Amino acid sequence: MNLFLNQITAIVWKDFVTELKTRELFSAMFIFALLVILIFIFSVNLSVVKASEVGPGILWVAFLFSGTIGLNRSFMLEQENGCLMGLMLVPADRTVIYFGKLISNFIFLSIMELFILPLFMIFFNIDILEHLLPLLFVIFLGTLGFCALGTLLSSLASNLKSRDIMLPILLYPLLVPIVIAVVRMTGQILNGEPLSGMMNWIGLTASFDIIYIGVSIMTIDHILEE
Amino acid sequence: MMNPDAVEENQEEGNILVWLTGLAFLAAMVAIFIYVPTEQTEGVVQRVMYFHVPSAWLSFFAFFIVFICSILFLWKKEREWDIYAHASAEIGVIFCSLVLITGPIWARPIWGAWWVWDARLTSTLILWIIYVAYLMLRTQSDAGSMRARYAAVLGIVGFLNIPFIHFSVLWWRTFHPPPKVITNEGIGKGMDPTMLATLGISLCAFTLLYFLLMGVRVRQEKLKDEIDRLKREKLYSA
Amino acid sequence: MDNQWFFLAANVVVWGGIIYYVYTIRQRNRALEKDLELLKETLSKEG
Repeated sequence: MNLFLNQITAIVWKDFVTELKTRELFSAMFIFALLVILIFIFSVNLSVVKASEVGPGILWVAFLFSGTIGLNRSFMLEQENGCLMGLMLVPADRTVIYFGKLISNFIFLSIMELFILPLFMIFFNIDILEHLLPLLFVIFLGTLGFCALGTLLSSLASNLKSRDIMLPILLYPLLVPIVIAVVRMTGQILNGEPLSGMMNWIGLTASFDIIYIGVSIMTIDHILEE
Repeated sequence: MMNPDAVEENQEEGNILVWLTGLAFLAAMVAIFIYVPTEQTEGVVQRVMYFHVPSAWLSFFAFFIVFICSILFLWKKEREWDIYAHASAEIGVIFCSLVLITGPIWARPIWGAWWVWDARLTSTLILWIIYVAYLMLRTQSDAGSMRARYAAVLGIVGFLNIPFIHFSVLWWRTFHPPPKVITNEGIGKGMDPTMLATLGISLCAFTLLYFLLMGVRVRQEKLKDEIDRLKREKLYSA
Repeated sequence: MDNQWFFLAANVVVWGGIIYYVYTIRQRNRALEKDLELLKETLSKEG
């Protein structure tokens, strides 16, 4: 068990060092998320529509789109320099690679989200500080589900012919339930409703996370097999 | 690989299936156009149901078969299961498209709108996209073990998504004013026995059609494999 | 009830869809047969 954790940490650490050296990915994700929010602000008339009604949807679309950039990079970078081969030659379980990638994707995306949230607050004039804890909980659940399924599919898509196109095509329809759930929950939280009033959505998102992490553990051997 | 006797036997079974399917469809047509009485409030257009519901059933059944065959493939690693999954997904997508087209045609005169974001419609649409993506994935990698494995993973992940889609879309709608929900689609309840019988015949006909198409497609894929194998053999011997 | 045209349209769609699918299957079969013929020819030339 200790070895398992060490191996995972090694992969996450490797991703961090690469990112700290280049800072490519993080800046790309952040700017892209910002652009998505701006485009939506231009396309929606905020003097007519209530900001708290369209806000959650826009926020999550920005998270998902920029998260996809991160996912696209995570396995493709390995693919380009033949690093994936090296990773697979390591005498470790395939699930180690999956969890390592899942955690590094999750951390990158979470950091990006923490930067976007204050901007969201300013642009939409929504006070999120009041409901910060439940909001962070929902963001945690949603991001985990996104990364669980996204890591699996990006490991798969990285071997396809047109990989950067195929990842969103494969991923987005499967993410529909979780997107509906988190957008609903975020909207309700911003309206000041307590978490206990949305147990069905929390249950749905949590079971989505658990089931897809489980499925990934079971199937990742078949994807990373050469 | 494929001995001639087996092929002939297959052919014969196929012929029986063709006749059965033809007969079933003939019976279904007679039932739909002549036997079944016209619905009082909806009129003639209500008869679309006898195409719409069986197509929906067929496509869901086909996607379920994709799921089962994907699991079996990852377990046994036999090309056979991959062929079944591929053929089933293709047929499922075709009939899912038919559902999505006949749905609005039926809805327009009855609800007054081509499309309503009703739970069932939305789930069917998302399901359609998932399996179109599945077929696209298959064109994106060369034939071989990798394509089969990837497709199988997506077949499993996609089917497991169905309950999530169902509940999320259902709860999503309940926060809005309820749409005019389909009332006479619930099987059995308040339905005339003749209508039920017609629907039953139609369901049988479509199910038979599924097996017929499956048989043809599977045989075709096997033939293709065989030709590819011969070509490769030829290439290496030369 | 003046909606028999919708029923007609639905019929056209369903039958059109099924026939189109069968047609594509036929096309693929033809291509395969052609391939097979070609293969047979080259094999017999050499053999």
